[in-house]
Amino acid sequence: MFEYALSVIIFLPILTGLALLLFPLRGGVARAVGFIVSVIILFIGIELFLGFNGKSGMEYTEFHQWIPSLGVNYALGIDGISLLVMVAATFLFPMVFSIFKTRTKGFYGNLLLAQGAMLGAICSTDLILFYVFWEIMLLPIFFMIGIYGGDKRLSATLKLTIYTIAGSLLMLAAIIYVGTSYHEQFGKWSFNIADLQALSLSGGFAITAFLMFMVAFAIKIPLFPFHTWLPDGYTEAPTATTFILSAIMAKIGVYGVIRFVIPVFEVEFTRFAILFSLLGIAGMLYCGLAAIAQKDIKRLLAFSSASHMGIIALGVFCMNVQALSGCLFQIMAHATSTGVLFLFVGLMEERLGTRNIDDLGGIAYRAPIFATFFAIAMLASVGLPGTSGFIGEFLIILGAIKFNAFIGFLAGTTLIIGVCYMLWMFQRVFFEKGKERTESFADLNGMEILTFVPVILLIIGMGIFPQTFLEKIEPTAQQHVAQLTAVSASQIADTTVQNPGHTNHKN
Amino acid sequence: MHDFLSLLPLVIITTGAILLMLLSAFESTKVEIASYISMGFYGVAFFVQLLIGCGPETTIFSETFNGMLVANNFSMAACLVILGCGFFTAISSHSYFKVNRFCTLEYYSIMMFSVCGMMLLTLTHELISAFIAIEIMSLAIYILVGYERKNVKATEAILKYLILGAFAGAFYTMGAALIYGGVGSTKFVEIAATLNIDKTISPLLLGGGFFIIVALLFKIAAFPFHSWVIDVYDGASAPITGFMATALKTAAFALFANFLALHTTMHDGWVTFLFYLAVFTMFGGNLIAIGQDNIKRMLAASGIVHSGYLLIALVAMNAEQFSGSVIAYYLAAYAIGTLGIFASLSYLGGEGEKRANFADFKGLAKVHPYSAAAITVFLLSMAGIPPTAGFMGKFYVITSAFSAGHIALAVLGIISSILSMWYYLRLIVNMYFHEATDTFEVQGRPLATAGTFVLVFFVFAIALYPVVV
Repeated sequence: MFEYALSVIIFLPILTGLALLLFPLRGGVARAVGFIVSVIILFIGIELFLGFNGKSGMEYTEFHQWIPSLGVNYALGIDGISLLVMVAATFLFPMVFSIFKTRTKGFYGNLLLAQGAMLGAICSTDLILFYVFWEIMLLPIFFMIGIYGGDKRLSATLKLTIYTIAGSLLMLAAIIYVGTSYHEQFGKWSFNIADLQALSLSGGFAITAFLMFMVAFAIKIPLFPFHTWLPDGYTEAPTATTFILSAIMAKIGVYGVIRFVIPVFEVEFTRFAILFSLLGIAGMLYCGLAAIAQKDIKRLLAFSSASHMGIIALGVFCMNVQALSGCLFQIMAHATSTGVLFLFVGLMEERLGTRNIDDLGGIAYRAPIFATFFAIAMLASVGLPGTSGFIGEFLIILGAIKFNAFIGFLAGTTLIIGVCYMLWMFQRVFFEKGKERTESFADLNGMEILTFVPVILLIIGMGIFPQTFLEKIEPTAQQHVAQLTAVSASQIADTTVQNPGHTNHKN
Repeated sequence: MHDFLSLLPLVIITTGAILLMLLSAFESTKVEIASYISMGFYGVAFFVQLLIGCGPETTIFSETFNGMLVANNFSMAACLVILGCGFFTAISSHSYFKVNRFCTLEYYSIMMFSVCGMMLLTLTHELISAFIAIEIMSLAIYILVGYERKNVKATEAILKYLILGAFAGAFYTMGAALIYGGVGSTKFVEIAATLNIDKTISPLLLGGGFFIIVALLFKIAAFPFHSWVIDVYDGASAPITGFMATALKTAAFALFANFLALHTTMHDGWVTFLFYLAVFTMFGGNLIAIGQDNIKRMLAASGIVHSGYLLIALVAMNAEQFSGSVIAYYLAAYAIGTLGIFASLSYLGGEGEKRANFADFKGLAKVHPYSAAAITVFLLSMAGIPPTAGFMGKFYVITSAFSAGHIALAVLGIISSILSMWYYLRLIVNMYFHEATDTFEVQGRPLATAGTFVLVFFVFAIALYPVVV
């Protein structure tokens, strides 16, 4: 029955989104349609998650030929790496439709398009198909920020778009390089990631291609120093778009590194791992410090999101099972905590008309439920034990110490900055004296509570019963790391034995 | 029989051209009727060409024509693109001349004659017949460029184009003469036979090849012969600009590819030269395009960039097993995008093309959301964003460059397409992210809107079902 489930979750939102854009509908109708579709996707997502056994590679696979002459296929599948990213992209969308009511149909259409394209990027196992969805998912973001964004939206959109497209076009060159190398080595065309694992690349072109891939993903994540589009982009975007960008799209960058870069470029990846993990830490540190200084609460969260992406990226570069599964777990945890924080800020902005921290204060007295929910999401984001954030960060730091004690130490201490700006912001916004504007702040209404409760429960549930999630991702993570270490060890052995014929005669 | 079938589309178009010329003698024939007639002929010829399909490579009437004309898959694909260009240009002309009333019946007749020249050019494998085809095509295009006699810009355009084109024609003749001096024949087969024996390019062949390539570089608007294109495209009426940018380029590239593919030695001899030309064409075109405020001028400059990508395909092609599929696909993808934009310009431009700058299209999405969406699709296709035909075309070109080992060229092509994002996005930004200041009145229900949406369909159709490759 679930044979075509992945195609459905990709193309149902895309087609509905296009229909919303094409047919003249009222905003309310469009929102209802979008909500229904996203709930359908949510249920399929839950079914997929529960039905996933995690034992053997790709599940729910689909395969059709697309361009036979170049070996490009329509190939989909889900494994332990993509599972939680898929879950994040299917679980969180209904919230957006249920909270924000004041948008036009074009906005809701674009939201659905973005969801479909992102699910497509997450589920594809063919590099070209992945690239197609990767580029498509940028377009709705471009239009959403450009049409519905804040005052400085024009420069923010152009910056974001040209930055990302530059990265992805470089990645296209690298993808084609990988494909032609496969053609040279094996005599047939393929862009399927399972085939490409067999590829052995070396030399300057391999390193260039590796760096091109990394730049594309680093821009999307965003990894220091490619993060400069982020503060403007996140701040000027409408809340729902910021939510998509930070909760899901950034994660696809990390996911892309794990899925496509590690299996193909094992040697280069091992060689550059230290450098990139240092970049991750630099990003954590820099964006964390920048967050402290922000006056705009959304901008603060933008920097905080970038800072947290630093630690998630660090999890990838540590190359061991703990860090990798921690990273995959944290992908989901970060989406539920920081993503939801963006939604809360959007609600505050809608009710008060300001995002300036100085104008806010004393909200906790007016809106206790809202404050509680906000506190839970915030504490998850700083990694309090008992919440989802703790498990992921703990595993990543454990892995980082195993990888390199110094980097582990840096990562662990840098996390403290996160606590600083978050708690200080919470104090200024929710406690202290009430201001004029916050006097009439209304607490969450029934519908909003109903929307957020599942996510809040998910945050706590993931903190208390992490095994439910970890057991699905760990086998794949183990496999992935085993391959990486095996190949890189053999390569290192090869390079140390420069003179052939001397050492191999021992037996 | 197959000989005649291969020639049939050309015969149909020629018949149409002559018929229209005769009809224009009658005062009672309306211009609109002429446009329908020409659409009909293009359509019939297109389907005949499609039905003939991919037969094996045939030398058409080898006795009668002495082996000058050869039909193969590549010529078929190029003819299909040219006929499609003719069809959609007729549609956009129909709408364009509803607003700008300076059209006479001869317009459509001349356009069909130029299509005859172009189709002949794709078939020809001999230098003198190629020259005749080039001249049939060019003479018709000269007239079409200056068709709006009272417009100073059009007069300037025709003068520039005519003088420079005459130079190019002279260079071509010179080149053909030198090659004849070196080889003793102007037929591609015999040039190839000589190269097979000699294994190197003789000085006469080198000089002749150089002059011919110069003439062709002029026709495709490649560096360093690209500067005419901006003014000429700007001066000509919108449908004609679209027609020149697509059909003429297709025909010229078909001859270029056939000429280079005639022998491996020929191709290898010019690869380095073409490599640098491709790089300069792409980056030179981008630099010009980034500075333009006028959409037609921007499209002219972006046409230069696309010629650069096609030169990459020429550098990367395999002369021994030349199929031309990459070039044909790219030409088709480029033609669809460009024709689409010019079709929409022809009904949105207004009287005397008063809306010509980026700023004039501010807020178009608020007034004509569907047209704005269509233009966006065409722009994204030209920029090479998936899932459009332009992406597939670029993908094939870059892949062929990588396979042929021209990695540097492929990467430079990618960098150039990053640069080109700027001016494609600029129009989208203008259409969507600004409030409308204009009413964008459109007279009646122009046929070009239908053409535009059919082209949008094709942008996705040939991307998702890439039949050619």
